[in-house]
Amino acid sequence: MGRRYILLCFLGVMAGLTFSAIAQERTNSATSSNAATPAPTRVAGATPAAKPASPSSAATAEDAAAVERALRVEGEKRFRTNCGRCHMAPHKFPPRVMATAIRHMRVRAMITDEDMRLILHYMTR
Amino acid sequence: MRRFTNGTRRHYACSMVLALTLSTFLAFRSDAQSPQSEDVKPVPLFTGSAGFVTSFDGGEAHLGPIASPVLLIPLNKRWLLETRATFESDMVQEPGLSGFHGKVAKAVDYAQLDFVANPYLTVTVGRFLTPFGIFNERLYPVWIRNLQTDPLILPIGIGPSNASTGAMLRGGFKAHPQFDINYAVYFSALSTASPADSDRLAGGRAGIFVPHVRLEIGGSFQHLLQQERSNSFGFHAIWQPPAWPLDIRAEYAHSQRGSGYWVESAYRLSQLAFFHNEMRRVQLVARMQRFIAGILASDSLPAVNTKKFEFGLNYYFIDGLKGIGSYGRQFSADGNKNVWTLGLTYRFVLPLGHAGSE
Ligand code: HEC
Repeated sequence: MGRRYILLCFLGVMAGLTFSAIAQERTNSATSSNAATPAPTRVAGATPAAKPASPSSAATAEDAAAVERALRVEGEKRFRTNCGRCHMAPHKFPPRVMATAIRHMRVRAMITDEDMRLILHYMTR
Repeated sequence: MRRFTNGTRRHYACSMVLALTLSTFLAFRSDAQSPQSEDVKPVPLFTGSAGFVTSFDGGEAHLGPIASPVLLIPLNKRWLLETRATFESDMVQEPGLSGFHGKVAKAVDYAQLDFVANPYLTVTVGRFLTPFGIFNERLYPVWIRNLQTDPLILPIGIGPSNASTGAMLRGGFKAHPQFDINYAVYFSALSTASPADSDRLAGGRAGIFVPHVRLEIGGSFQHLLQQERSNSFGFHAIWQPPAWPLDIRAEYAHSQRGSGYWVESAYRLSQLAFFHNEMRRVQLVARMQRFIAGILASDSLPAVNTKKFEFGLNYYFIDGLKGIGSYGRQFSADGNKNVWTLGLTYRFVLPLGHAGSE
């Protein structure tokens, strides 16, 4: 019997370490390839609707507005998918309140990092 | 009663310490990507819920006031201190006395420190709600649950007082473009300090969530490291078909003290054309449950096989405030009975500081 517990603990340890390692791997590549981009835009890069424009045109206000719109649409979609799963999806709270509630939900509801960033962006604009 | 060897205990402690140290170390190294959007600084929150639920259980009237405050203190970019206490009473009419009487029960439901190590891992230490199945951790508060009565199988796998004391690793991440995975593994030490008591146990839960169909399925496992040193396991499913305002949830749990399942569906009348403004606030709920007594006795589970059918109607006045009503019929060898509930529940969220402008 004792062996089974140890195995269980080891599985836990291995899971933790593997995720940490993968995370670090991803973080490093994200930082080196896109270090100057602000966080929400970097997230948006992962979604087809919000692909950042080429560096030459990225500076224009229209592109910035388009990225902002796409972020908002994607954020709303993620909000609808994730925030009504356990309770009625809440209305908007002031930004700093939302930031705490979403950190809480990230832990409690295990919302993914990308979902959390997009939802926070959508709920605080 | 407790039969665990020092050797096993040492192995456990070592593995846990190793896991926590390594994950913390790796997390500090990977601080290039902050877990929270930089531009919004979270503020401490005083939140929680309050409710008043009257029930008629087998003909006996109960008044149930409940208050459940939650304190959330975000620290730095990666930490969160969270705690919830519950004050509740079950007031009944005592023979020979007028009015309703009952004691106020107090409990610290959880008091935990969370460290968001990286996008894949959050480390929690302290007293936390045991993540076995979905009801205890996700649906328990009165403002969330669709029916105010607890599922019959709720006590399975969550320990005494619904919480564990120890450490937990958890997280949710996109494993594939089509689905997310969430997991929690935990270890709890024995605590006899009532009302914050807990069992010595270890376990885990994992789930797969498919966002585009809004379906989650998952399973829980737990090994008790004291008394009969038995295993418990369970499965859960949650489905919210994107086209309909419908929630379907189901849970199965098995332990030596009993096993059973519940299936619940809740339908919001928001698609009805007439009286749309009123109808969209109405939710109809139906739940069916079955409990099969186990080979060992339990204080918190029914003593005999039981079936229960419940129907509820909830009315959402505003965000956080709802009126509830339900009727249920329970069938068991101990006798059949009706259970009615009627009440009001409220959730509040108050910032303890400057909240930022909208
Ligand atoms: C897996 C279930 C689950 C999901 C998904 C979920 N929540 Fe929650 N939420 C809860 C629970 C449980 C509580 C109550 C916490 C308590 O009382 O201990 C809660 C509480 C809250 C509160 C009250 C304040 C607080 O933090 O306790 C807000 C606001 C909230 N959730 C917003 C959200 C938003 C926004 C999302 C989407 C990102 C979300 N929730 C997704 C389970 C969930």
